[in-house]
Amino acid sequence: MPQLLGVSPASSGRPWSRGGASLTRDAVLSSLIAVAAFALASGTLACRGGDPSPARRTIIDSRDNYDPRSLDPAKSTDVPTGRAVGYLFDGLTRFTPDARLVPALATRWEMSADGRTYTFHLRAGVTFHDGKPFVARQVVRSFQRALDPKERGGRGWPLYPIAGAKAFADGRAETIAGLTVRDESTLVVVLDEAFPIFPKLLAMPVAAVVPDSTPADFGEHPIGTGPWRFVEWKHDDYVKFARNEKYWGGAAASDSLVARVIAEPSTAVAEFESGNVDILYIPESDTRRWENTDERSATLASAPGLRLWYMAINTTRGPLKDVRVRQAINYAVDTRTILDQLIGGRGNVAGGVIPPALEGGDSTRRYAYDTTKAKQLLADAGFAKGIDVDLWTGQTPPFPRLAEAIQSYLAKVGVRAKIVQRESAAMREAARKGETDLALKDWFADYPDAENFLYPLLHSANKGVGGNVSFYQSPAFDKLVDAARREPDDAKRILLYHEADAYAFNEAPMLYLFFYRDLDAVQPWIRGFQLPSILNGQDMRGVSIEHNGAGR
Amino acid sequence: MLRVLVRRLLLSIPTLAGVLVVVFLLLYVAPGDPVMAMVGERADPETIARLRTELRLDDPLPVQFAHYAGGVLRGDLGRSYITGRPILSDLLERFPKTLELAGAAMLLAAICGITLGVLAARRPGGWTDRLSLGIAYLGTSFPVYWIGLLLILVFAVQLRWLPPSGFGRPQNLVLPALALGMRSIAFLARMTRSAMLDALGADFTRTARAKGVPERLVVVRHALRNALIPVITVLGLDFGAYLTGSILTETIFSWPGLGRYVVNAIARRDLPGVQGAVLFMSVVFVLVNLVTDMGYAKADPRVRYET
Repeated sequence: MPQLLGVSPASSGRPWSRGGASLTRDAVLSSLIAVAAFALASGTLACRGGDPSPARRTIIDSRDNYDPRSLDPAKSTDVPTGRAVGYLFDGLTRFTPDARLVPALATRWEMSADGRTYTFHLRAGVTFHDGKPFVARQVVRSFQRALDPKERGGRGWPLYPIAGAKAFADGRAETIAGLTVRDESTLVVVLDEAFPIFPKLLAMPVAAVVPDSTPADFGEHPIGTGPWRFVEWKHDDYVKFARNEKYWGGAAASDSLVARVIAEPSTAVAEFESGNVDILYIPESDTRRWENTDERSATLASAPGLRLWYMAINTTRGPLKDVRVRQAINYAVDTRTILDQLIGGRGNVAGGVIPPALEGGDSTRRYAYDTTKAKQLLADAGFAKGIDVDLWTGQTPPFPRLAEAIQSYLAKVGVRAKIVQRESAAMREAARKGETDLALKDWFADYPDAENFLYPLLHSANKGVGGNVSFYQSPAFDKLVDAARREPDDAKRILLYHEADAYAFNEAPMLYLFFYRDLDAVQPWIRGFQLPSILNGQDMRGVSIEHNGAGR
Repeated sequence: MLRVLVRRLLLSIPTLAGVLVVVFLLLYVAPGDPVMAMVGERADPETIARLRTELRLDDPLPVQFAHYAGGVLRGDLGRSYITGRPILSDLLERFPKTLELAGAAMLLAAICGITLGVLAARRPGGWTDRLSLGIAYLGTSFPVYWIGLLLILVFAVQLRWLPPSGFGRPQNLVLPALALGMRSIAFLARMTRSAMLDALGADFTRTARAKGVPERLVVVRHALRNALIPVITVLGLDFGAYLTGSILTETIFSWPGLGRYVVNAIARRDLPGVQGAVLFMSVVFVLVNLVTDMGYAKADPRVRYET
């Protein structure tokens, strides 16, 4: 019984007292016999050959572990929603699976010399799933909707660079000043200041284009221009899509696509093993088993995830104000061993916040594991007797185990960390309010650019709710990041990113852990699936089921 | 009987009002800000302030409560902070699914549990007695997620008789109903056994045998009927518990019922979702208990409800 028995039987229930001693012995025997029968039944059948491809023509994805919040781009704040919106809608731009930016509803765009004005030329002949044509004014309306407080979306920030967007969102303006429809196929966007990576933000789900009319239940019955149209949504069960035959980029290879919602990872594995689903997310704890066994008939798809695991060090609290203490924490933890032992080697040790997969990332920078140096730094800072701190973690695996590992490493150099385990929303809130000393977190990229790590995680403008829960404040770092955000020249911008990352690294506002590697299992009959580095980078258009005639 | 029913229903109103107050207060004491859960990882203070105003989260607690309680009285449980959908329709969408699972589990438990109990009581110490005891031990000492995973592994992954999870087709119902009902089967079997042993040793059984009633009828008509009262209590309590959503079973088998809904609502700090669901469950629980009490009178003619 290979995969599901990772859970221990926990046969600790209180013995059934009614019935006396001899019956108790009998009961134990009977129970054992029953368990043995189960084990035999499954054991004899454990070895199976490869499965024939299924007869269905629907791609079934099992990666969503909770129900999407909505299918409305304006409410796309979670992963299942973002993925579904990516199927149903298009933005002006979009991402490829390897996180490059390519044109979508805009075929091309020009940036003015001062970098503040963008002219987007829109694709002609595109229609929504209900047959109505796509025109420029819908882009304006979509952005307004995403920013409108009445929609209660909560994620307007990707559009804030547009002049007047913030004023509109705050209810201080009737329209967004920076948006002008020149004609049906031309949109002019004026920004508050030069921001050369702005087109990347337009590929985010929240910037997707919706039709003129969006009834109150639009999130339940979405209509977009995307490669898949909406069929049905059974809450906590699945969302079904059918291919858009008239898609401007060419119709999808498969008839339909189902995103199943499976909360329990072991259940998703069972569905995959039974051949009922095509794509499976592999939890960290299962990595080695999938990578090292060849009996499994699946192929593994891997991609460098644009995701950083780190432990924010609140730079405003007690001994943690001292840079030497923060560096000591970095020297004290053997991140390589933690990565290998707890995360199944899924990733690269981090030496900065920029993933190596993005330009500006540096995989050579490192705080090498050195307890002597860590103790020395603590002593130099005047804490030879060690310090006491709180280490906050969420409850989602593998965070609690990660916290325990870090705690034991820290203890060796005299940093006595008390683990505070909370449900993730509560933990995040405490960290944002600055109530945590150390907070174990991860950070997903919204768009593939180093700016998406440097600016939210460490810029002083984003302290607290903006994402900088280290409350790191450094004028020199801010200056470098601000300059990078304005720099139109790609090469120069990347150098600035690199410099900013190195600068913050020396000040150790976090314990740098690792960059995650995504890993999915894909059924052998699936063709054309490339695991995306960014959430909405795989539109599933090229994915198909190969039928070998041996269908069930 | 009708007057009793009405009186009992009226009496349950204070209970439900109490539930309303406690749930409302508990959630405001519990850590975690719903707006923080709404906006995702990156946000700005203005958006958060705006959403708090939109959701009336900055109103004084009594005002919020009055607003909420007023809505409840009009049959409006509010809208989800997260999805924007009306809570009541969300709950009504899930309840039939939970009902289906709970009903199947209880039916299975009643049939298997009572049968096993009766057979066990007829020959104490015999093999049926031992078997039923074994099942009782398994059912009560193994946690439901363990049994659930084991069932999936054996019957879905290895034998391929049934689908591992999902909802909609009859075969989807078998494994979750078995996993959920296992504890009740065990409990009912033991309960029935001991009640039957008492009844089979009672004077009226001896009288029945003495006047020549066939043994089959002695067991079914005389002993079992008398043994049913505790059995009905267990059935009612378990059914009430299952109807309010079986979180683990629904999670393991991807069953889109109330249990999953509540877990999601709690995880996302969807206050109206949690409040509405708990209130809804309380109503269901009260009603099931009422029906159970009425069931006593049906099973035992000596039980009469006086007004």
